[in-house]
Amino acid sequence: MKHGLMQPSLALVALVVGLAPLAAGQSNSGSITATAVVQQPISVTGAVNLSFGNVFPGVPATVALTDAGAGRFDVAGQANAPVTMSFTALPGNLTFGANNMPVVFTAGFNTTNAAAGATPFTPGSGAATSLSGTGALFVFMGGTVTPAVNQAAGTYNGTITLQVTY
Amino acid sequence: MVSRSGLALAGVDSGHCRRAHWWGGVPALLAVAVLPALAVSLHGQGQPVRVNGVRSVSFGTVFPGISKSVPRTDALNSGRFDIRAAAGSQLQLSFALPAAMTGPGGATMPLSFGGGDAGFSATQSVTSQVGFDPRVPFVATMGSPPARAAVFLGGTVTPLAAQPAGSYTGTITLTVVYFP
Repeated sequence: MKHGLMQPSLALVALVVGLAPLAAGQSNSGSITATAVVQQPISVTGAVNLSFGNVFPGVPATVALTDAGAGRFDVAGQANAPVTMSFTALPGNLTFGANNMPVVFTAGFNTTNAAAGATPFTPGSGAATSLSGTGALFVFMGGTVTPAVNQAAGTYNGTITLQVTY
Repeated sequence: MVSRSGLALAGVDSGHCRRAHWWGGVPALLAVAVLPALAVSLHGQGQPVRVNGVRSVSFGTVFPGISKSVPRTDALNSGRFDIRAAAGSQLQLSFALPAAMTGPGGATMPLSFGGGDAGFSATQSVTSQVGFDPRVPFVATMGSPPARAAVFLGGTVTPLAAQPAGSYTGTITLTVVYFP
């Protein structure tokens, strides 16, 4: 009796063993995407130099943001993108060889090329704003030089560098 | 008794010793008949494991020259796959990860994945994950019923300084091998 019943038992073992490889190792896959939107690179151009013109020993000279001698940076980038502005180079003196002439700066920004409507800010502190709907921003520079009474005659220069970041 | 126990598993009771020899071969035939049927059923359903991509890895707005990362724990921007498989089963998770995303005019933007950028959650909870390296296969275990798990994925995009503006995409595929 037991001998006869062994046959189906073996068959069941074969069934179980046979099923295992069918299930094991089966796979399925799914996919997603990675997405990003790259903004237009930002550019800053030194468009107009700040010029104090002729100055005289002992007589301070000031250039307002709206004066013809005012400097200007032109910024272009992604429309309406928020940006921060800072000056990475803002000299305390203009130089002529080993001679120094003290200078301080003023600044203002506008989304249109109009110094009259510019929002003033302290250059040493920087500022934050947004580019215009066309991705434009204009930064105007003024300042005051204070020649000493014995200021050596010559052409004095300095470099101002504006950094704008998203 | 051992053999009877085996019959009981099959739901067949030989009952009488004299009929044992006659019945003895029938379950074997049944087994042979049932085996292909089960095989068809498993293959037909194809669902020992289900994998669905349900959320993209979204880096949002990025800027030229500035890398940006999305952590796998970011509930809104991390990628997500949902997995359904038998409770307690083991799964091997393998990603096909692009090294770059493709954008306007065929421009590419580097995309990378770190050692902890993937996470497995047996409860589909973004706040309860086991981190793993998506660059190498990972073995996970399904939880108790209803046995629905999720895999979350973060990453880092590295725009070049002169990266052309526009939309970039890449495809990430998760393959899950099921071990019951």
